[in-house]
Amino acid sequence: MTIHDHPAAAKQSFSVVGKSVKRSDTLEKVTGTALYAGDIVLPGMLHGKIKRCDIAHARIKSIDTSKALALKGVKAVLTHENVPRVLHYGSPHPRSASVTKDQYILDDRVRYWGEGVAAVAAISEEIAEEALGLIEIEYEPLPAVFTVEDALKPDAPAIHDNGLEKNNVLAPVVVERGDVEKGFAEADLVLEGEYELGRPTPAYMEPNVCVTQWDGNGKLTIWSSTQTAFMVRGALAEVLGVPLNKVRVIVDHMGGGFGAKQDLFQHEFLSALLARETARPVRMEFTRKETFLGGRSRHPGKIWLKQGFTKDGRITARQARIVFNSGAYGSHGPGVTNVGTAAMTSLYRCENVHLEGRCIYTNTPIAGAFRGYGVVQTYFAIDLQVDEAAERLGFDPAEFKLKNAVREGDIAPSGHPIVGHGLEDCIRRGMEESDWAAVRKAPKGNGVKRRGWGIGCEMHGSSAYPGIKEQGNAIVKMNEDGTVTLLTGTAGLGTGAHTALSQIVAEELGVPFEDISVVQGDTDVVPWDIGAFASHTTYMGGRAAQFAAADVRRQILAHAAPMLDSSPEELTIVDGVILRLDGSNRSMSLREAVAPQRGMPAIQLVGVGTYTPTKSYSFGAHFTEVEVDTETGEVAVLQVIPVHEIGKVIHPVAAAGQIEGGIQQGIGHTLSEDYVIDLTNGRSLNPSFVDYKMPLSMDMPPIRTIILETAPDPGGPWGAKGVGEDPIIAIGPAIANAIHDAIGVRFRHYPITPENILDALRVQKKEA
Amino acid sequence: MTRIVSMTVNGEEHELAAPDFRTLLDVLRNEGGLTGTKKGCDVGDCGACTVIMDGKPVNACLVLAVEAEGADIQTIEGLQHAPDRPHLLQEKFMQHGGAQCGFCTPGIVMMAKALLDENPEPSEDEIRFALAGNICRCTGYTKIIEAVQGAAEDMKKARAI
Repeated sequence: MTIHDHPAAAKQSFSVVGKSVKRSDTLEKVTGTALYAGDIVLPGMLHGKIKRCDIAHARIKSIDTSKALALKGVKAVLTHENVPRVLHYGSPHPRSASVTKDQYILDDRVRYWGEGVAAVAAISEEIAEEALGLIEIEYEPLPAVFTVEDALKPDAPAIHDNGLEKNNVLAPVVVERGDVEKGFAEADLVLEGEYELGRPTPAYMEPNVCVTQWDGNGKLTIWSSTQTAFMVRGALAEVLGVPLNKVRVIVDHMGGGFGAKQDLFQHEFLSALLARETARPVRMEFTRKETFLGGRSRHPGKIWLKQGFTKDGRITARQARIVFNSGAYGSHGPGVTNVGTAAMTSLYRCENVHLEGRCIYTNTPIAGAFRGYGVVQTYFAIDLQVDEAAERLGFDPAEFKLKNAVREGDIAPSGHPIVGHGLEDCIRRGMEESDWAAVRKAPKGNGVKRRGWGIGCEMHGSSAYPGIKEQGNAIVKMNEDGTVTLLTGTAGLGTGAHTALSQIVAEELGVPFEDISVVQGDTDVVPWDIGAFASHTTYMGGRAAQFAAADVRRQILAHAAPMLDSSPEELTIVDGVILRLDGSNRSMSLREAVAPQRGMPAIQLVGVGTYTPTKSYSFGAHFTEVEVDTETGEVAVLQVIPVHEIGKVIHPVAAAGQIEGGIQQGIGHTLSEDYVIDLTNGRSLNPSFVDYKMPLSMDMPPIRTIILETAPDPGGPWGAKGVGEDPIIAIGPAIANAIHDAIGVRFRHYPITPENILDALRVQKKEA
Repeated sequence: MTRIVSMTVNGEEHELAAPDFRTLLDVLRNEGGLTGTKKGCDVGDCGACTVIMDGKPVNACLVLAVEAEGADIQTIEGLQHAPDRPHLLQEKFMQHGGAQCGFCTPGIVMMAKALLDENPEPSEDEIRFALAGNICRCTGYTKIIEAVQGAAEDMKKARAI
């Protein structure tokens, strides 16, 4: 079936979709009965712990585990000497070019401070912890580099040998359109700047955790906190050398991932191996500190950006060099570099573009996938510089961004023509809602506290196409009482995805929302799914569920037609009742239609849906007011008006929740969050929630969310597009631009700390 | 050494075996089988393990189990009136979308319960202040605040009847 002949594609009125029904996962969550991987307890279960190195780059000369093994209660110890040595992907997205194959379960070499070097299983967590201290390791230190500049020097150590130029995760990504030299020659104003990007981390609340168990038939079951259950299954099977039907991954609830939990984190392999060796289940949970050390951050880096502008406000050329710091392993470096670089072709229209993206290994913790995937960084640079150009050319920044916003028919970063005028709609609506012209003219004050308004814009794709060819699958079964079971491979990382999918199935079938139940998170039961990431769950998983429901609908109408003396085409289903469309008042309930009749079992109704999406783009513009304290340097975000265009809203409260949560993380990135590495030895300086500063209840401003449905995409269910990643992209530039409006200083980095504000104000005063 | 600690948990008398160094959080989760209380940091930074101990909210990871000898503990599992009758706060968290991934939710609901027990009509600032030690990374807090306000309003109406 193609998306264009879908029977309900042009549907205008909805009974379930678009309503904030009670989410199907929240009763368990608010009552504490929801089971997360770390809640699983099995008979005889052991506790595993990982020993982490305290050196940034070294060869392991020797490991002595005899004392640890001798400790009472210790059941097994693993080192690089007794685990399989299999080079594997950090995140095995169908072997796509988005991820790298550069990891071993344990290696005889460590490449960052905090990398796992050994693992212990013991009868209690305390004994396992004690045993870690008894493992004696002798390191042969190697020269280490912590910045991309040092990693690219001729005498830098090679962190991996992948056949590319030294310390490059991938060959440079070059994206070229038009002729930048010609574009710069046409410009009246050329701006050039370097933008520096900090190292925020996802800081999901649930630490990485898994429980592993081998049964008597050599089958492995793993309960794991992952966004990509089928990827975990694939990696475990390949590295442990067992077929896929001997690995079962279960994810019931998970406590957040924000992209990072697409990777494997060593502990899945180590836990499985410890469980095999001891023939007992093993639970392995990271401490909060380990979620920093062994987790994944956003890619830090630098962006050099040069753009040309005409007096009448066009952008004639855009040239950029992006250098991301990958840390010690590649993880999603190739994907992030490709997506972030390609994104710079768009947002604000420009025909002449030359972009080069690189990603470089250093001896620092690993950067990986994180909400916004490279685009947070590159749109921060573009939006700030476009804001600056507006000022220099005498335009209002919102008017200037509106004038240059991508629009219908422009070529998107994926190569697709853009559908609709989503970005323009967002900017216009935000200008109205904020009373933009008036608030920008309002006096900033010359006292201690000064206020300003800023605008930041973004667009982001639903699905990882063309980097990854994705696929979502669903099975819909109708039971003999007319209720429905949806089997989906889509993971529920907290977004409300399974509720949205149930709404879609209910709408398509014409049954009440309460009649749908969801089976998910078990690779032995549900159909294959690539996982929950890239803002594609509703767009792709929802479309697959819609197809599966449409399949059941066809079957049930064909079955009911003779009973109603009609044809399937002349029937519809409304609120669980099959009706004739001819107004004859002939009808029957679904329950009657599917129930066992005349001694025969009920009809088997199973629908299957597969969807291989390309891509759609969602849009957003954030308008924010900040207050800068010129004595303390503190920046308070006073209010945010986020306007997002997402095609068709399935669940308004859940969609708004994504936007508000994205803004929270984005405020953190921009003003306070930075995972700091000591540049003398590679040690992590703030791996805790006390020292890694996130915006909390007292810091979060009122958010007035506005969601538009003006540019539905034909690829999503009834036009729906993604919203998960978008909000974290626009808020950063909005805040930086608002700070400029308040105090007249243009920062070109994040986080913008109170110290930076005070330093800049001192310089400003001196220059005045 | 391991001691037997007696405490009342959600109205039931419990005798739980706890080594001296084990926290109330670990004992509730492991020995007590009450896994609704979550471990987000184990060092008192995140509030995911908030329970009510003798009427006051505490981080269960900062209380040693032996310190809870004789205490009255309420956890998230004890909050609802019956399996099909959630507490008003739980209803409001569902209605307003106050839970996303849900990992911080039990701690936040218990902190909100402790707040409303002490201050039945809190201002928005008082709600934000009460939740200042509870980290939520998903919601931006907007819907959590709305849920607590909604519960307070409904409780006020109920008292007026």
